[in-house]
Amino acid sequence: MTSMDILAIAPHLTLTVSILIVMLVVGFWRNHRLTMVLTVLGFVATFIALFPALDASPRAVTPLIQLDSFAAFFNAMFLIIAAVTALISHRYLEGRAGQLEEYYILLAIATLGAMTLASAQHFAAFLLGLEIMSISLYTLIAYPEEGHPPLEAALKYLVLSGVGSTTLLLGMGLIYNATGSLAFAEIFQSNVVGQQSDAWFVAGQALLIVGVAFKLSLIPFHMWTPDVYQGAPAPVTGYLATVSKASVFAILLRFAVQTETLNQDVIFTLVAATAVLSMVFGNVLALLQDSVKRILAYSSIAHMGYLLIGLLAVSALDDSAMALETCLVFLAGYLAMTVTAFAVVTQISSATSDRDTEQVADFAGLFWRRPVLAAGMTIALLSLAGIPLTAGFIAKFYLFAAGVEGALWSLIWAMIIGSAIAIYYYLKIVFAMTSRESEHEYPPVSMLGAATTVVLGVTIIFLGTYPTPLIDAVQRIVEGFG
Amino acid sequence: MTAVSVPIEHVLILACVLFAIGLTGVLVRRNVIFLLMSLEIMMNACGLAFIAGGARWAEADGQIMYMLVLSLAAAEVAVGLGLVLQLQRRFDHLDIDAASELAG
Repeated sequence: MTSMDILAIAPHLTLTVSILIVMLVVGFWRNHRLTMVLTVLGFVATFIALFPALDASPRAVTPLIQLDSFAAFFNAMFLIIAAVTALISHRYLEGRAGQLEEYYILLAIATLGAMTLASAQHFAAFLLGLEIMSISLYTLIAYPEEGHPPLEAALKYLVLSGVGSTTLLLGMGLIYNATGSLAFAEIFQSNVVGQQSDAWFVAGQALLIVGVAFKLSLIPFHMWTPDVYQGAPAPVTGYLATVSKASVFAILLRFAVQTETLNQDVIFTLVAATAVLSMVFGNVLALLQDSVKRILAYSSIAHMGYLLIGLLAVSALDDSAMALETCLVFLAGYLAMTVTAFAVVTQISSATSDRDTEQVADFAGLFWRRPVLAAGMTIALLSLAGIPLTAGFIAKFYLFAAGVEGALWSLIWAMIIGSAIAIYYYLKIVFAMTSRESEHEYPPVSMLGAATTVVLGVTIIFLGTYPTPLIDAVQRIVEGFG
Repeated sequence: MTAVSVPIEHVLILACVLFAIGLTGVLVRRNVIFLLMSLEIMMNACGLAFIAGGARWAEADGQIMYMLVLSLAAAEVAVGLGLVLQLQRRFDHLDIDAASELAG
């Protein structure tokens, strides 16, 4: 390993070292605030390490991982979200019986797994990254000892995520049998050299896509999502909806671009079918929910369906650069608005109560009692609905353009219908917040949390009104990718 | 000595059958311990597919992936059993449906 290799992989190393430091400090001196600050500092240091690493990229460190600006883009977003999650978790966990410090260690380990996924170009790294993240998440979901929903959510997630992982693994095994290779780029070579007709090879790819669909909770593989989102502690739900989804999508994108798996009709149809189902039924089922967390769960299912339009455009368009640009812009917008919504839910909930503040009725009067939080939530919801001047509008606009360019008409129609339905249930929450009467007791406001919400809300508006910097950055990333 | 070679398809079919058995177990069983066991069967089916691949291409890659699958299974079961203990302590049974409070 040369010094350039070490420089390229510096972010991963920094985060690993910071995890070890936090672990040692917790071993000697338990202090909730100190652990939180150290973890956030670790994320900040890792973020800073991304810049020298970018100078050394693109570079393959061992055949397993490819460090390029694509990975750096995702890593930057994961680190920001992880830091936000740690900041808002402090007030949320405070007062809970038992030990709180391991929560932050697990959060950092899950982020390390996500960063590995974003740079993996080999099945072994894919498996390692995915499981480092998933197994940390099982524990994070079950973390609050009181209350019954977290335990049930963790068990459900463990079993169904396990089914997803094994499906993915069987797919990998079949692909390996057919091609003799575990690296994405080499699979591509056999994908071209007349292997397409091999039934085992196609079955392997289909199983791999199904496994990924479990992780992205696309309909019909979404059964776990609403229950897990509702039962998990609010900051963990936010993390689950953002980092865990985006990292799996990052590797799916890399896999699809490097192996051109979507050029096979069977795989293309499979992905298109799950996309349409997710967009339509995700939004329809969200109408029936009374819990904000469940509404956001179905909304994330629908958004993953929208995102697949970008993925399909990669193979439908001659110029895959535009499709890649679409995916990255959409993801940036999706992550910003989803993390904001869950940050607000976190701040009006507490780990000491039986369940989080999550019923739509509990949000009544939030505008009058917690104006800053309610404003942040409103911006996030309007952005999720795709109202102009927000990040969500730019994201959907991009998808629409890519879909039209690629002539994916049925998908475009599903997106339009889905978005129209979605406005109803997002506005339902906004109207609840403006109502005058309110009964629910909210925990005290923390300045840190309020400040985080303001920054996130401003980011959504900024991305929606002046997206040029983001688009420029994404275009540079796409040029160096492939 | 003549080596009797098993056709690779047979091994893959066996892996898929094992996988299907495990999946059926996950779908029909309600006891958490049995759910974890079914998951374990599914993981071993994947391991078998990798070993078959390793033998077919005469490479170590398949075996290495099998080791990773094994450690994954161990980690998953460790967390799973931790949750099982919590469930047992709180409800005195291991039925996942009876522990269901979240509206499906």
